[in-house]
Amino acid sequence: MTAALLTLADSRLPAGGHTHSGGVEQAIAAGHVHDPASLAAFLLRRLTTAGAVTAGLAAAATTRSSSGRHRGHVPSPGARSPAGSSSGEPPAPASSELVAALRHLDGEADARTPSPALRAASRQQGRGLVRVGRRAWPSPVWDALPAAPHHPVALGVAAAAGGLTPRDAAAAAAYLSVSGPATAAQRLLALDPLTVAAVTARLAPAIDAVADDALRDGLPADTDPLLDLLAEVHATRGDRFFAS
Amino acid sequence: MGARAGARPPAAAGLITRVEVVARRGPGGRTVLPVVRGSGQLAVRRTGPASVHLVATAFGPLGGDDAEVRLVVEEGATLAVRTVAAAVALPDRAGDRPSAQRVVAEVAGTLDLRPEPTVVAARASHRAELVATLAPGAVLTATEQVLLGRTGEEPGRWTGTTRVVVGGRPLLHTTVGLGPGAPAWLPPVAPRAYASTVHVGQAAGVLTADDAVRLPLENGWVATAWGAELHRVVRAVEAVA
Repeated sequence: MTAALLTLADSRLPAGGHTHSGGVEQAIAAGHVHDPASLAAFLLRRLTTAGAVTAGLAAAATTRSSSGRHRGHVPSPGARSPAGSSSGEPPAPASSELVAALRHLDGEADARTPSPALRAASRQQGRGLVRVGRRAWPSPVWDALPAAPHHPVALGVAAAAGGLTPRDAAAAAAYLSVSGPATAAQRLLALDPLTVAAVTARLAPAIDAVADDALRDGLPADTDPLLDLLAEVHATRGDRFFAS
Repeated sequence: MGARAGARPPAAAGLITRVEVVARRGPGGRTVLPVVRGSGQLAVRRTGPASVHLVATAFGPLGGDDAEVRLVVEEGATLAVRTVAAAVALPDRAGDRPSAQRVVAEVAGTLDLRPEPTVVAARASHRAELVATLAPGAVLTATEQVLLGRTGEEPGRWTGTTRVVVGGRPLLHTTVGLGPGAPAWLPPVAPRAYASTVHVGQAAGVLTADDAVRLPLENGWVATAWGAELHRVVRAVEAVA
């Protein structure tokens, strides 16, 4: 269980996340991020907005994809295995119900991501995660995803396929919302890696709080218009290192 | 009207405000307003064949107050909703409850919702919500203008949620938190003034400016601006709208 979560949140998982800076590249260009303190503030605002939304979506996607093992959910008729068959708890097959549920979450992700640049970044990373996730954690639930799903929806399915809980998926989403951007800032500003590691580590209580909140009823919709603006300005630049 | 002492029992539950307006296509295609109802803190005045103004009948809202404005615009009808003055959200006298205002709109025709600004006084907390359910082909324009703190005053706290659903599909769902204690309201970008407009009916692409951005929605757009002074922010959002 825990090892699958570590793998899912590992920056070395080749899902393409390393090509995105989560807005940090443009935040540096705009002068908002220039040292460890301003980086910490930027990561916190990202965590509590985009991070909270992705944590909520990822947790919901895991719940839908996990054949009722978590949070007391009743298995759907399509997820029930025939009597006398395997006694294990396989992930739900790609029922039409699951397809509709994941499509619904993908639509809610779109509604929470009006920035075209951020939508493209999320779908790009979602596709990358499906590619590696299918190999890492083979499961029929992958087939229920739309072609280039939003990253948190794919992350939730990956968590389910890896036997993880919705809380695990939320924790991975929340952590990934700051870990990649922190590394990007370290590279772009040539910051001391130990300092950046400390900045990220000190966010742990906030990351845990976001992951806890992700399990409450209703998908979070917290947004930061600054991140939208930075993403759209960044997308027009020809001299960028990161895709977003 | 407006005698708060009479409307509010001491150490009380907040004031409940309910407004309902229905716009319908009448004879000859003109809009008629068969339902125009206000209670609590807001009265409704008909100010045109297809327009109403909401008139505050008391200071506030105060923390703990709860207002719901229900707007129904039927197919072929048009409704414009305005307010006569800025609303000043004031702190809860008894505790730290926020004041709340929900606008719940069902639109098959055309709704144009442009209230005056909301000013959130120091120590006050206000929650604004717009839930708009649109039929395919419906037209919506909804604006929001927020100023944290009156002149020379510390900023208050504001949370605004916008959810727009078109033909059963979510088009936009965002929550913006401003003011001390809002997790993403952090220096160096912690604006006192904020303005936003969402439009459905005519598409527009991305537009960026200093502290302002317009984002495309399917058959619409959402524009947002922020800064230190409300009049500049309103100009900025109009420039990208």
